[in-house]
Amino acid sequence: MGGRARKISNVRCSTFLAAVAAVLCGCAQRTIPPDTIRLRLSGSPTTLDPAFIVDVSGGRIAAKLFNGLVKLNDKGEIVPDVAETWQVSDDGRTYTFKIRSGVRFSNGREVTARDAEFSLKRLLSPTVASPRGWILDYVAGAEDFADGRTDSVAGITVLDEHTMTIKLDSPFAPFPYLLTMPNAAIVPEEEVERWGADFGSHPAGTGPFSLADREQDVRLVLDANSGYYEGVPRVKHVEYIIIPEDLTAVVEFENQNLDVLEIPAAEVSHYVRSKRWGEFVVSRTGLNTYYLGYNCQKEPFNDVRVRQAVSRAIDTRKIAEKVLEGRVEPAAGPIPPGLVEAPPLTGDHNYDPQSAIALLKEAGLEDGFRTELMLSTGREELGVCEAIQSYLNEVRIEAALVPLEWSAFKKATASGEAPVFYTSWWADYPEAENFLFPTFHSSNWGAAGNRARFASNEVDRAIERTRGILDDDLRAREYRRIEKMIVDQSPWVFLWHRKEFYIRQPRVGGFKLFPVYSADKGTEMFLTP
Amino acid sequence: MRAYVIKRILLAIPTLWGITLVTFLLMKSIPGDPVIGMVGERADPEVIAQMRENLGLDRPLVVQYVRYMRLLCKGELGRSHYTNRPVAASIAEKFPNTLKLAGAAVIVAVLTGLTLGMVAAVRRDTWLDRLCSLSASLGIATPVFWLALILVMVFSYALGWLPASGMGGGLPVFLILPALSLGTRSAAYLARITRSSMLEVMTQDYLRTARAKGLPGWSVTLKHAARNALIPVITLAGLDFGSYLNGSVLTETIFGWNGLGRFAMEAIMKRDYPVILGTVLVGAAAFIVVNLVVDVSYAFIDPRVGSARR
Repeated sequence: MGGRARKISNVRCSTFLAAVAAVLCGCAQRTIPPDTIRLRLSGSPTTLDPAFIVDVSGGRIAAKLFNGLVKLNDKGEIVPDVAETWQVSDDGRTYTFKIRSGVRFSNGREVTARDAEFSLKRLLSPTVASPRGWILDYVAGAEDFADGRTDSVAGITVLDEHTMTIKLDSPFAPFPYLLTMPNAAIVPEEEVERWGADFGSHPAGTGPFSLADREQDVRLVLDANSGYYEGVPRVKHVEYIIIPEDLTAVVEFENQNLDVLEIPAAEVSHYVRSKRWGEFVVSRTGLNTYYLGYNCQKEPFNDVRVRQAVSRAIDTRKIAEKVLEGRVEPAAGPIPPGLVEAPPLTGDHNYDPQSAIALLKEAGLEDGFRTELMLSTGREELGVCEAIQSYLNEVRIEAALVPLEWSAFKKATASGEAPVFYTSWWADYPEAENFLFPTFHSSNWGAAGNRARFASNEVDRAIERTRGILDDDLRAREYRRIEKMIVDQSPWVFLWHRKEFYIRQPRVGGFKLFPVYSADKGTEMFLTP
Repeated sequence: MRAYVIKRILLAIPTLWGITLVTFLLMKSIPGDPVIGMVGERADPEVIAQMRENLGLDRPLVVQYVRYMRLLCKGELGRSHYTNRPVAASIAEKFPNTLKLAGAAVIVAVLTGLTLGMVAAVRRDTWLDRLCSLSASLGIATPVFWLALILVMVFSYALGWLPASGMGGGLPVFLILPALSLGTRSAAYLARITRSSMLEVMTQDYLRTARAKGLPGWSVTLKHAARNALIPVITLAGLDFGSYLNGSVLTETIFGWNGLGRFAMEAIMKRDYPVILGTVLVGAAAFIVVNLVVDVSYAFIDPRVGSARR
């Protein structure tokens, strides 16, 4: 009897263990519903109210919930969105937009020109205090309205239900690009008034998707908008999962619990070389420029010869190849590839330590000097800066590395406290002006973008003049000329442009990389059975 | 006992007040500006100034602190600078998740630690003792983040047994790796404490008497020795549980656990002052409560403690 009982007990025990193992074995495997594409966010979006979005996560989702007057395609070109056509006056100051018929908000109401007017005025309103009001700075009367001196924006006029004009103070060719930013999205007045400050939690737009579910700091689910004006998106649901840690996200991708993943830097070479995954990797050079900046107003970097010497002392190509393993494209100037059609610069600022020593001697610094190289804390940043430090040491420049926490680093570089610093500039919109005016115009010293405190009347005037040129070819050539002027002054060491690498599961089709994250509406992605 | 508990609760008030003051001063002394983080660096100076005014950050530090204390007196923790959500609501949402993880981690720690410690004590100076001691040393020496990543790589990536991240809508299986990762170090300390405490107790006369009476070995170990060796174990487990209730930044970040630790960490990175103060305060209060419960529990385990307090 005892033997039989033990036998039964053993069988029960084995069955239980087998059941546990079966349950466990399935736990890491695919958990995505068949009609859903699951994507990763590294952090929760702060808000989904277009007027207040400044973070990447918010911008990515807003692109799917809202539309603007115009949008960007995957080549970075301006294409129609809610405005089906637009015309620019001969003087380049007045834009006339024709609003498309039949575009509806998620509450069912049709969009009119009044909604576009409301949304743009909201961005400028002093009571709303949007952080991105600056994108309409060029609109006539914007300043008066923003300062509360007038009740309306003189430059924004609704002609009829489907026509509106926006008049600028002076010609500004990149203006349509500013309208592609998520902050210029069209929102329904009645929903904004209904939810007030909580509109960001109840976003109502015209986009290809609508917010179906949200667990703060955990996930967001978007449902396809069956009435979307460009046709129903090819995938029914998009689910965003918040996964802060890169390695965990990689494991979730490998376990097929994520459909698309921006590949963390440490994993790029693994996926690119992988026989299994290589063909599913998608990459493009991002709209960014990494640079070593100086405070151009402080000694010794107020001497152009010293700045040029530093530029020639660093072998940026070797750092790009050895430290960053080819995840970047070496830069010849501030403007990333693809933004300007005119021939790119062929820099004469290549690695040349002997020339660097000669320039330092010419500047009276033949014995070298000591300085501080500030960087934000991060493994990659440290690796790059250690390499730079070693190159500078070869020309007798002793650069002490000062790693700072991100906020402290931003403050030190904005205030001019940092003599030398390693950082980057990322595009707000894909137009070369965005890599020249904020970063090198003397009105933008500090946090506005010109952290190097570079000042040149000639460059200032050239940028101001070029922004008003409507002829694309002529403007492109001018941008290159300005870029050359800046490179000659060496306010930065132009290091590289970072490439973006994404990987998709084989079942995901139609996945494309856009020049800016907030341009991807997710309408072309689909799932194969 | 009641007077003792009341006294401890009253003592907690100045402690918590001191914590708000120190946290507030530390928070304000570190560089960084929440407004710049919220509006971006290219925002107009007027917008930045207005935002600063709206949040009360343009006022002197004393005024800001007094305002916060007034809020606390009304039972509020303020609103997040970034999301405008009430901090108390966010904490109420995340605290149960942290509590669940802390509970599971302590269960892992106590079960593993007690077992290893008792086995090592009972089999003193044998290979089993040495194996348990080695395991404990490894557990103490292993950094939590490293262990967490290794667990993910082994059990989720290589074996495909357990989920790597998220909370799975409350499914217990999602708790296994975070709890193992968080509880291992505690388990290692508990194993050491249990071993030394057991060894001390096992030389006592009453145990020799128990053995002489002919009681079986397991009964002597579990019923007589273990119970008396429990006090230092409970102290340590209680302290660990209390500290886990503050949230475990690394574990919660690696496993995408929606708890207080990750919430606090993100708030620190963004300089979201009301969230930092709220999470520190709630974490400190939880720690104080757990300590009090641990102290009170001594009396039940060892009646001598209770009578001494009385």
